[in-house]
Amino acid sequence: MKLLSNGPEETFRCGFTLGKRLGKGDTVCLFGELGAGKTTFVKGIASALGIPERKITSASFTIIAEYTGTVNKATVPFYHIDLYRLQGIAELDSIGIEEYIGRDGISVIEWAERLGEVEGSISVTFTIVAEDKREITIEGMDETGRNNL
Amino acid sequence: MLILGIDTSCDDTSASVVEDGKRILSNIVSSQEDIHKKYGGIVPELASRRHIEMIWPVVDEALKSANTKLDELSAVAVCYGPGLIGSLLVGCSFAKSVCFSKGIPLVSVNHIEGHIFSSFLDEGGPLVDKGFAQGAPEFPFISLIVSGGHTSLYRVDGFRRYKELGRTRDDAAGEAYDKVAKLLGLGYPGGPAIDRLAHEGNPAAVDFPRAYLPGDFDFSFSGLKTAVLNFLRTKVGSRKPNAELRTLNSELVKDICASFQQAVVDVLVRKTEWAAKEEKVRRVTISGGVGANSALRRELALMAKKGGLQLFIPPAALCTDNAAMIAAAAYHHFITHDIAGMELNPVAYLPL
Repeated sequence: MKLLSNGPEETFRCGFTLGKRLGKGDTVCLFGELGAGKTTFVKGIASALGIPERKITSASFTIIAEYTGTVNKATVPFYHIDLYRLQGIAELDSIGIEEYIGRDGISVIEWAERLGEVEGSISVTFTIVAEDKREITIEGMDETGRNNL
Repeated sequence: MLILGIDTSCDDTSASVVEDGKRILSNIVSSQEDIHKKYGGIVPELASRRHIEMIWPVVDEALKSANTKLDELSAVAVCYGPGLIGSLLVGCSFAKSVCFSKGIPLVSVNHIEGHIFSSFLDEGGPLVDKGFAQGAPEFPFISLIVSGGHTSLYRVDGFRRYKELGRTRDDAAGEAYDKVAKLLGLGYPGGPAIDRLAHEGNPAAVDFPRAYLPGDFDFSFSGLKTAVLNFLRTKVGSRKPNAELRTLNSELVKDICASFQQAVVDVLVRKTEWAAKEEKVRRVTISGGVGANSALRRELALMAKKGGLQLFIPPAALCTDNAAMIAAAAYHHFITHDIAGMELNPVAYLPL
């Protein structure tokens, strides 16, 4: 599905809408270059899980940031993963990402192209169309057994 | 009272012996810059491995330079977060082992708390340029912590009495430096490279946005990074990936560096000034890697002079990550009997 965002607020809302449909074990892979709106989208998802938007900052530095979210009144760990600084697949084997993905929590991965394919994940691709216009393509919602957005 | 501090939170292995929380007897920092340079950023796994190799030699050197040995220490202090989990683990495991085998008390210190206490180190005053205050700051003070991983403003009313006034909502200031440097093909780390080129550029050449976010003390540097990217795109007239943007003439690169740096510094200085005013505090300290930036130091000094504030800036070597600041903060934990147990585990995300 393709969506058009006219600014950070709309990108945030897209993330929020997707976030409302996520549950335990879901993995969302984000693709798109610097400044495309990935972190803003993550803030939207987090907000849908009851995590204050302000708490979510860039995870480039620590690579994995862990928060506690809520889905249907049950707490769910929320993992914000940012692979911006990582080069090559060889490195990824050893940072323990597999311990987070698809387990008890919800994982959102920025710069997911550095990870290769993640089975059963939802993928979101951001394309910069103009200075404040982004095309957001969401794939993989059907395979995970949920309705379209 | 001697405390050995250890910091392995990111890419530097550091050990330091500090007396009474202020006098530095040794401060050894083994930089990994050369290892990570070719990747354009820190590779966590390589950082952890290098920490393992360096931790013993660095601690050994810290003890030797301080002319002391483990038996003479009152405590060993270690940074347990925030930071890269693999890197933190090396320091924590090492400190725990030493404390366990030698029967020395263990103290755990939050990295940010360490930065706050870097202004209490003796070298935090007298060694710095003219115009900065000397000695340790009295409470209360406003502390600006600005680095590759953090950008926060705190009000500090005493030991353990920290109030976060604001912090970045997206990228840390140092992270924006690294990302912009990457866009410009300047390599890693971005801060020193941009700072250097900025001296030769015109800070008014490009009017990059300043996110002042009126109403609170939060920061935002993500939009600035995107503005630089958009500017480059327009200049180069390309929608190509980032690598294609690196074909700019050097004068333009210098102007972009100067203008970008000015935008970062303006926001950091103004918001620090507002925080001091709003909180009715007359003292300001700064720490973190970006605290080594020449433009930031200069403009903060100007602001402090104009506003009649006392400014405490440690020398650059104590702004960037170091273990002396960990030992300095640990002193206050130790004298208030706050000792860590052997169950201590590092934490990557650890708010102060």
